[in-house]
Amino acid sequence: MFPPRSILGRHHPIPPVSSERKEPKSKYTADRGIPGAFEGETVTRRRLMTGTVHGLGALAAGAFALPALGFALGPVFKRQKFQWQSIGNVADFNQTDYTPRVITIVSGIGEAGKSTTYVRLRNPSIDTEPEDQYNRVIAISTRCNHLGCPVRFTEAAGKFICPCHGGVYDFRGVREGGPPVRPLDRFYTRIENGQVQVGPRYSVNSNLKRFSPRDPGEPVDGIGQYLYPSRFSTPQK
Amino acid sequence: MNQREKERYLRDYAILKSQGKPFFPYAVAKDSAMAALVLAVIITLSIVLGAELGPKADPTTTTYVPRPEWYFFFLFEVLRVVRPPEFVPFATIGVPTLCMILLFLLPFYDRSPERRPERRPIATAAGIITIAAMAYLTYMGANAGSPNAVDMKPPSSLTGAALTQWNAGRLVVGQSGCLACHRIGENGNDGPGPQLTHVASRLPAAAIAQTLRNPTAPMPSFQSLADSQPEKFRNLVAFLGQLR
Amino acid sequence: MPRLKFPAPPIPPAFQPKPKRPGTGNGKVKPADQAAEAGIHVVDWIDERTSLSGGLRWLMFRKVPRGTNWFYTLGSATLFAFLSQAVTGVFLAMFYDPSATHAYESVRYITNEAFLGQFVRGMHRWGSTVMVILVFLHMARTFFFGAYKYPRELNWVIGVVLLILTMTMAFTGYLLPFDQRSYWATIVGVNINGTGPLIGPYLSDFLRAGPEFGALTLSRFYSIHMLLVPGLIAALIGAHLYLVAKLGTTAPPWIEAEEDPAAELHKAEV
Repeated sequence: MFPPRSILGRHHPIPPVSSERKEPKSKYTADRGIPGAFEGETVTRRRLMTGTVHGLGALAAGAFALPALGFALGPVFKRQKFQWQSIGNVADFNQTDYTPRVITIVSGIGEAGKSTTYVRLRNPSIDTEPEDQYNRVIAISTRCNHLGCPVRFTEAAGKFICPCHGGVYDFRGVREGGPPVRPLDRFYTRIENGQVQVGPRYSVNSNLKRFSPRDPGEPVDGIGQYLYPSRFSTPQK
Repeated sequence: MNQREKERYLRDYAILKSQGKPFFPYAVAKDSAMAALVLAVIITLSIVLGAELGPKADPTTTTYVPRPEWYFFFLFEVLRVVRPPEFVPFATIGVPTLCMILLFLLPFYDRSPERRPERRPIATAAGIITIAAMAYLTYMGANAGSPNAVDMKPPSSLTGAALTQWNAGRLVVGQSGCLACHRIGENGNDGPGPQLTHVASRLPAAAIAQTLRNPTAPMPSFQSLADSQPEKFRNLVAFLGQLR
Repeated sequence: MPRLKFPAPPIPPAFQPKPKRPGTGNGKVKPADQAAEAGIHVVDWIDERTSLSGGLRWLMFRKVPRGTNWFYTLGSATLFAFLSQAVTGVFLAMFYDPSATHAYESVRYITNEAFLGQFVRGMHRWGSTVMVILVFLHMARTFFFGAYKYPRELNWVIGVVLLILTMTMAFTGYLLPFDQRSYWATIVGVNINGTGPLIGPYLSDFLRAGPEFGALTLSRFYSIHMLLVPGLIAALIGAHLYLVAKLGTTAPPWIEAEEDPAAELHKAEV
């Protein structure tokens, strides 16, 4: 044989296969001729110690790994709280044009927790989705539903335009061109004593049916609502 | 690679290795020269280009145009090019995951013993094509214009008031979101609307104004702009009327 | 006094201890000799207790194959860029405050006021670019030279993991200055993860530590960027280098092994 085994480091010849079949070993240690075996004993001392090593090792590793993992995963399962926040009088808004308003999404981190929403009054001639107490005022989120860039409402064209990958939405926030997977998200709104208040965000499908808030890039039409399920963090109404 | 080829490789490698030089100091000398070069490059970049710090993060912005770091430009360009919403998950997750799996498993599906690049035409071609594609996408991503502004030089024939009007109209085009559906020069999207780079050679200015007022759906009408801010509307028409 | 004894064959002659030329020294012990003696003594003391010299000899005096050229320095250059990133990163961490309200101010302080702040931040910032380029060049070299083939498949897999971890470093580090660029790049990056079906929404909640970019997001990215991923990278670089030393670097594919096989084999067997 060429080259010699010493170069290749192969020192493990395959043992010849025994031609005669061996009897299956007894499960009792006493029957297998192990010294000091007890009557009816099935586990050798060595196996017991090996099992102990594995078991205790797994226990010790789990004792620090699992709490750490739970700690890191905790926020995923934490249900968010929300507050209604006033953004002005009903008279400040109209049906034909959007007024931008800055609202707080996450409290306690200052500017970094704020966001802009475009607000207008419901216009029954174009807003065909059923009216209820939460959409007399329409507040549209400025997060593009392709990947979350900040969209801008251009008055002259009456469209929302995303500067990243070229998404375009019409006046109602429904996708008109580009890669966004669903219309712009909205916020629940209500009117209390003539004040417009903004609540939690919700997503809509292309018929403007409401869904729990999804992240950008997650369609809710058809099978999308099951592929991108509602999250545990969704605020309770 | 079968057992015989493996053994042949190991034998050849043992010969080459026995003819080589010790790692220290011969290879280490090259390594340390390279390390010094790397450090020199880093320090030069740091001194010449510094560490820029942009304006503070502002989640309320509606005017900022986000762009990634240059080594993610290729992905950025893929995301820009993949338009149908149904394909978005393929562009974001599908293709990158597939590429990573192919990269991971490379030694397990390319099992031929041949190592010379010119005798592995498929692998070499695939590598060169991948590099070329990434370079092309990076270049395109780096040059992706803002959809809110037209980067275009005025025609040299324009002077004085006409030039001012041209520039004002260029601004209106950017603010009006025309580029969301039209391409003008380097900026804007190829569709759904037609290219406007040479629109004035197809339509006279009056016809452009007429189309802006009475467009075919889904283009929105600019009648309200013509009524409320006729100055802006005139600038817009003047700019578009110069696109030959 | 015990002396370091190297086995003769792998040591280049220039490094082998030589007996003193007759007639030099005159029996007097000079201070330089004493210092050298002391140094050898310390090394000996450590080696007697650790036996490190064997491993070091194995690592440093192994032969690299004939034809090894400048392309083979890309890996060590990447390692060097990583070390530079680690050192500058440690010193940046002394000034940095990973909270959404103070991060930007602390980076502004580093950039504008701290002594050499802009220089060190610039080194870290451009070091990342250089490291990403070097990783890709190193990978291209490995690919075109067919160096991922038998017996080095496992090292290629480790290398791909290191590539992914390097890109993770680039992505998580990008948020830390907390300017407009970093904020929006992070929003887009997290949402890209979110588009994975079924687990995507939970994955982006995990990355952000909540449904929106919040107080915990920045500290989470910071911890990943300076503890979790660098630790993994360091460990995997160790494994990568061990395999490089054990299997040897490849020769350029166009170099043919051409010598009398019998003589070579005889040499290898000895």
